[in-house]
Amino acid sequence: MGETRNEKLRGDLFYASTLLSELHLFQAAKWCAEALNGLQEPDSPIDIPIDVPTQSPQELADRPRVLLAKTYMNCKEFDRAAHVLKGCQSGNALFLRLYSILILVDKKATEETDGSINIGTFNEIIEPDGETNDKEVVSGLNTRLSKILQEIDAFHTSGQENAFLSYLSGVIYNKKKKYTLAQNCLFSSLKLFPYNWSCWQELIASLNLLDDALEFMNKIKSSKSSLSGNVMFQFFEVVILQEFYQLLIPLSDSLGSLISIFPKFNFLKVQQFLIAYHNLDYFQAESIFDKILVDDPLRLDDLDTYSNMLYVMEKRSKLSFLAQFASTIDKFRPETCCIIANYHSMKCEHGKAIMYYKRALTLNKNCLSAWTLMGHEFVELKNSHAAIESYRRAVDTNPKDFRAWYGLGQAYEVLDMHLYALYYYQRATNLQPLDKRMWQAIGNCYEKIDKFEEAIKSFEKALTIDSYNNEDNDGVFSTEPHICYRLATISEKLGRTGDTYKYMKLCSDQEYEWGISDATSKARLWLARNALDNNRFEEAYELAKDLNHNNAHDIEEARSIARDARNRMSK
Amino acid sequence: MVHNQKTPSQHNSTLFISPMVNNRRQDLFITPPNPASTLFDTPGSNHSLFFNLERVNGEANASTEPPQQHSRLSTVLEPLTQAEKLRLWRHDALMQHHYKTAEFIGDKVLALTDDPNDAFWLAQVYINNGSYLRAKLLLTSKPEFEKSVSCRYLASLCLVKLELWEDALDLVGESNPFRKDDNYQVRNADGGIKLEASMCYLRGLIYANQNNFEKAKECYKEAVLVDVKCFEAFNELISNNLMTPSEEWEFITTLNYRDADDNDELIKLLYTSKLSKYLNIAKFNEAETILKEEYELGENCDILLSKADYYYIQCSFDECLVVCEKILSMDQFNFDVIPNYLSCLYELGGKNKLFLKAHQLAENHANNPMTWLAIGIYYLSINKIIEARKFFSKATLLNPNFGHAWIGFAHTFAAEGEHEQAISAYAFAARLFPGTHLPNLFLGMQHLQMSNLNLAEEYLLASYQICSSDPLLLNELGVINFHKNNLMKAELFLQEALGAAKYLNSDSKTWISIHTNLGHVYRRGSQPYKALDCFNQVLKISNRNDCNILSAMGLIYLKLGNYFRAIDILHDALAISPSDPVASDLLKRTLEANTSSDLFANHSDRIFQLNLPTLQHKKPSAKKSKFLTPLTNKTKAHLSEHEHSVDDVHAAANALLKGEESSDDDDEVMDIESD
Repeated sequence: MGETRNEKLRGDLFYASTLLSELHLFQAAKWCAEALNGLQEPDSPIDIPIDVPTQSPQELADRPRVLLAKTYMNCKEFDRAAHVLKGCQSGNALFLRLYSILILVDKKATEETDGSINIGTFNEIIEPDGETNDKEVVSGLNTRLSKILQEIDAFHTSGQENAFLSYLSGVIYNKKKKYTLAQNCLFSSLKLFPYNWSCWQELIASLNLLDDALEFMNKIKSSKSSLSGNVMFQFFEVVILQEFYQLLIPLSDSLGSLISIFPKFNFLKVQQFLIAYHNLDYFQAESIFDKILVDDPLRLDDLDTYSNMLYVMEKRSKLSFLAQFASTIDKFRPETCCIIANYHSMKCEHGKAIMYYKRALTLNKNCLSAWTLMGHEFVELKNSHAAIESYRRAVDTNPKDFRAWYGLGQAYEVLDMHLYALYYYQRATNLQPLDKRMWQAIGNCYEKIDKFEEAIKSFEKALTIDSYNNEDNDGVFSTEPHICYRLATISEKLGRTGDTYKYMKLCSDQEYEWGISDATSKARLWLARNALDNNRFEEAYELAKDLNHNNAHDIEEARSIARDARNRMSK
Repeated sequence: MVHNQKTPSQHNSTLFISPMVNNRRQDLFITPPNPASTLFDTPGSNHSLFFNLERVNGEANASTEPPQQHSRLSTVLEPLTQAEKLRLWRHDALMQHHYKTAEFIGDKVLALTDDPNDAFWLAQVYINNGSYLRAKLLLTSKPEFEKSVSCRYLASLCLVKLELWEDALDLVGESNPFRKDDNYQVRNADGGIKLEASMCYLRGLIYANQNNFEKAKECYKEAVLVDVKCFEAFNELISNNLMTPSEEWEFITTLNYRDADDNDELIKLLYTSKLSKYLNIAKFNEAETILKEEYELGENCDILLSKADYYYIQCSFDECLVVCEKILSMDQFNFDVIPNYLSCLYELGGKNKLFLKAHQLAENHANNPMTWLAIGIYYLSINKIIEARKFFSKATLLNPNFGHAWIGFAHTFAAEGEHEQAISAYAFAARLFPGTHLPNLFLGMQHLQMSNLNLAEEYLLASYQICSSDPLLLNELGVINFHKNNLMKAELFLQEALGAAKYLNSDSKTWISIHTNLGHVYRRGSQPYKALDCFNQVLKISNRNDCNILSAMGLIYLKLGNYFRAIDILHDALAISPSDPVASDLLKRTLEANTSSDLFANHSDRIFQLNLPTLQHKKPSAKKSKFLTPLTNKTKAHLSEHEHSVDDVHAAANALLKGEESSDDDDEVMDIESD
C-alpha cells in the first residue's frame, strides 16, 4: 500500500521537478528534486512512472519560440526573452513572458535605486538620497506590474487556467500587500498544481496572523479538494505551525509521518531543527543541524539560522569555524554574509557586522533576518534612528518577525515616544503572546502614559506566563521579582493597598529563588516601612536589619527603620 | 476660328473646363464608361444598414444625366482646333511644373481667345508660381472674367492666400448666392468637386480667420452638404472640433453621398471613421471592420489613424503608441498622427523617442508648427516648463489656430500653478474650438484649483453641454459636487463617469481617479465599506498617489474603530511620503485612540487562549530549558544582551536624558560599601 503511494509520489515529484525547471522556477524545482531524493530508495532500480499530459496545439506552435526565450533567460536577457514571446498563445509561454518581465522589473528597480529599494513599498531608508527620479522610475515599474496582473486576468477570463500564472499574480499581490487576493490566487494555483513549493511559501508569507492561518487551513480542509489529502498540504501545515511557534502534539505527529515518507529529506530535518530552536531546546537543535551538515556538507540554506543559534549559545569557536567554512563555499551568498556578520557581532565589531548585513541585503533584499539583526547592531551603536529604519524594513519584508516589532518598540521607547512603542509592542505580543517580555514591555508603556489599569493587566499576564514556565513539580510558586515589584508600585499608585502588599510580599519572597536584587530589596524596604507603620515592629526589624543591597539612600532608610523598630520593640 | 469653351456653372468642377479632360473624351469612345453605374444605384448602397437617414435623389440624377451624355458625345467628334492644342500644351507644361512655358503659352491662348477659362488656367500658373496678387489682378481684370464662377473662386482664393480677408469675403460673398437655386440637389456631372462647395469652403476659411467660428462652421457644413467630396471643409470641421460630438454624428447622417457616385459607401465609412470617438463606439467599430474587410483598407494610414484616436480616447496609450509607430513606419512625416504619437510618448514617459522625433522634425520641417509642438512636449516631459512654454508659443505664432499648441501653452502655466495665465490661455483655446469640451474642462479644473467652485461648475457644465460622455469631465463634476457637499449628486456623476469609463483601459489615470473620488464620496457619505472597496480597487491597480488613498483608508479604519489596521495603513502611507502632514496627524490620533481601546485586550486574550495549549505543552520541558540556557527563555541573545529587560530600556532612556546624575549615585554606593 505504502509502496504504491511512494511510487505515485515518485512519479509526481519527478514530473513536477522537470516541469518547474522547464519554467525556470528553479527554487521550487530544487525543492521537488530534493524531496524526490529524500524518499525511501526502492529495493531495486525501477522505472519511474510518469504521466505527462499531452501538449495542446498552441503549446506545440509556441515551442520553438519558447525554446529561444528560455535560452535568452538563461543568458539573463530578460527583456529580449519577453519580446520574443510576444504573441504566444499558450499559458506556459505567457507565464514565461510575464515571469521574465517580473524579473526584469525587479532587476531594474534594484539598479535604478542602488539596491536600497523595495519595490511596491517604500523608497529608501538607510541612505536617504531623496531623488524624486527614483520614485518616478519605481512607479513606472509598478505600472508594469499592474500590466502583468491585467494580462493574467485577461487570460483567465478567456476561460483557460494555468497554475503558474495564478502563482505569478499571487506573488505580485503579495508584493503589493494585497494578501487576501494573493491567497486566492495562490490557492487556485495550488489546486491545479500542488507541487510548487515556492507557491506554498508565498502562501505562508501572505498569512500574517495566526487566526488567519488557522482559518485558511480549515478552509482548505473543508473545501474537500484533493489538496487537503496531498502530502504537500502536510508540509504546509508543518511549516506554518512552526513559523507561528505553535509547538503542539499534532505538529510533531505530522512531522513524524512526513519523515517516515521522506526519511532522507533534509528540509524536514531543518523543520525539526527550527522547532527545537523555537522550543529553546538548543542542544537538541544543534545536534539535528550537525546531522544535516554531515548528510549535506555544502548546504548553505538555513545555515544563518544555525549561526544565530550558535551566537545565542555563545559557541564562539564553532561560530568562527562556521564563518570560515561558509566563506570557503561561497562568499557571496546572503547566508554566508549573515554568518560572518554574526561572527563580527560576537566579537563586538558592530561596524563590520553592519557592513556584512548590508552585503547580505544587497545580495537579497528580502533576506529575512538580516534586517532585524542589523537593527540590533544599530541599537548596539546607539543609533536609534538607523535601528528604527532597519526594523521597519524587517517588518515590511516579514511582518511575522516579532523580534523586529519588539526592537521597534524598544527604539521608540528610548526616544520617549510611548504611543508608538506601545503599538509595536502590541504587534509583537500578537505574534508571541507567550513571551512575558512582551507583556512587561506593554505594561511599562501603559504605565508611562498613565493607563494603570491596562498596565496592571499586562503585568499580570506576564506573571501568569512566568508561573506556567517556572512552576516546579512541587508547586512552589516562583516568579520574576521585577514583575511583582512593578505590579506593586502600580497598585500603590492606584491606591490599592491590599494588592500592593500582596505583590511586595511576593517580590521579596523571590529572594530565595533569584537572589537579592534591586527589586527584592526595594520590596523588602517597603514591607519594612509598612510593618513599622502598622506597628509590627518585630517584622519590620527582621526585614530591615540586613538590607544592604541598594543605593545609599535606601540603606540609610533601612538602617533608620531597623533602629526605630528596635527602639519601639524594646519599649 | 476660336472655339470657346463651355461656361462652368457652380455645379461643375474644374474638370469640366480642363482641356485635358475635354481631350480625353475621345478615349471614352474606346472604353465607354459604364452608364449603369451613374444611372442606377448599386444595390445595397442606398439602403445600407449604416444610416437610415439618407437622401434619395435618384430621380433628380436621372433627369439631369442624359443631356450631359449627349453633349459629351457631340464634342468628342470634333477635331482639335489650334487653341485647343495650345491649351493642351499649356496644361502639360503646368503639370510638369514648367511654369515659364505654361505662362508663355497660357498668355498667348488667352490673348487668342479671351476666354475666362483660359484666364483661369493662366491664373493657376501664376498661383503655382506663388504670384497670388498677379493672379488676382488677372482674374479681376475684365468683367466677363469676374462673371465666371471658376475665376471668381480662384480670385478669392488668391485673396485668402494674401490674407486679405475682407476683400476675399467681398468677392466670395457673405453667404452662398446659389443656395436657393436647387437645394443641393443637382448632381455634379464631371466627378470633380463642385465649385459651389469650394466657394463655401473658402468662405468658411475666411470666417475662421476672422475668428467668427460660428459662421465658419456653417459655411464648412454647407460646403460638405453641397458636395460631400469637399473633404477640405469636412476636415476643417473635424480636426478643429468645430462641432460637438453629437452634432458631428447628426451631421454625417444628413450628407448627400450621391455625389461620390459609386464610392458613396466607402466615403460614408471613411468619414464615419473620422468622427469623434466619444459617441457611438459600436458604429465606429462597425465602420472600421467593413473598411478592413470589404475594402481591405486595414493597413491604410487614415484608418490606422482613426484607430489610434480611438485608443487614445480610451487611454490605451500602449496600443495607441503601437498603431502610431506603425503609421510612422509607413509614412515618417505623417503630420496627422504626430500629435497622438507625441501625447502617447508623453504619457508613457518615452523621453528618448520624443527627443528623436523632435529632432527629426526640426531638421526637416523647421517651419511646421508641429515641429515646435514636439519640442515643447519634449521639454514638458523633462520638466523644463519655461523652455516648453517658449516652444509652444512659437508653435502658436506659426499657426495661431493650432489648438494643441495653445493647450500645451496653457498647461505650462497650470503646471507652475499660475492659474490666472493658464485660464487666459485656456480661454483662448476655448474660443478657437467651440466644439470641443476640453478647454472648458481645463478652465473648470483651474477654477477648481483656485476654489472658485461656482465658476468652476459653470465651466464644467458648459463643457458637459458639449460632451456628456467624457469620463474625465464627469469625474471633475463629481469632485465639484463633493466639494459643495452635494454627495448624492457627486455619487451620481461619478457613477456616470464609471459607466462612461467602461471602455477605458483600467490602468489609466482617469479610471483610477474616478475610483478614488468615488471612494472619497462614500467615505464622506458614511458608507465606509463601499469606500474601502473603491480604494482597494485602486490600490490593486496603481501605486501612484498612494499616500493620499492610504491616509483616507486609515481614516476610515480609525472611524470604524479598527485601530490596528488603521495604524498599519498609515504606516504604509508614511513610508511612501514620510512628511505627509495628514497621514502623520492621523497616525498620532490613531495611536492615541489605540491606547484607550480594549480592542487589543480582547484580541490578545483570544490569541492567548489559542496559544495556551502550546504553553501547557511546553511546560514539561520548561525546567530542562531553563537548565540548559543561562539566558532563560530569550530566543535571541541580541535581545537580551542589548537591552536586558524592559526596565533597562527605561533606565537607559533615563540615563540618556541625565547621564551625570546616575553616575553620581554609583559613586555614593561605592563609598558606603567601603565603609
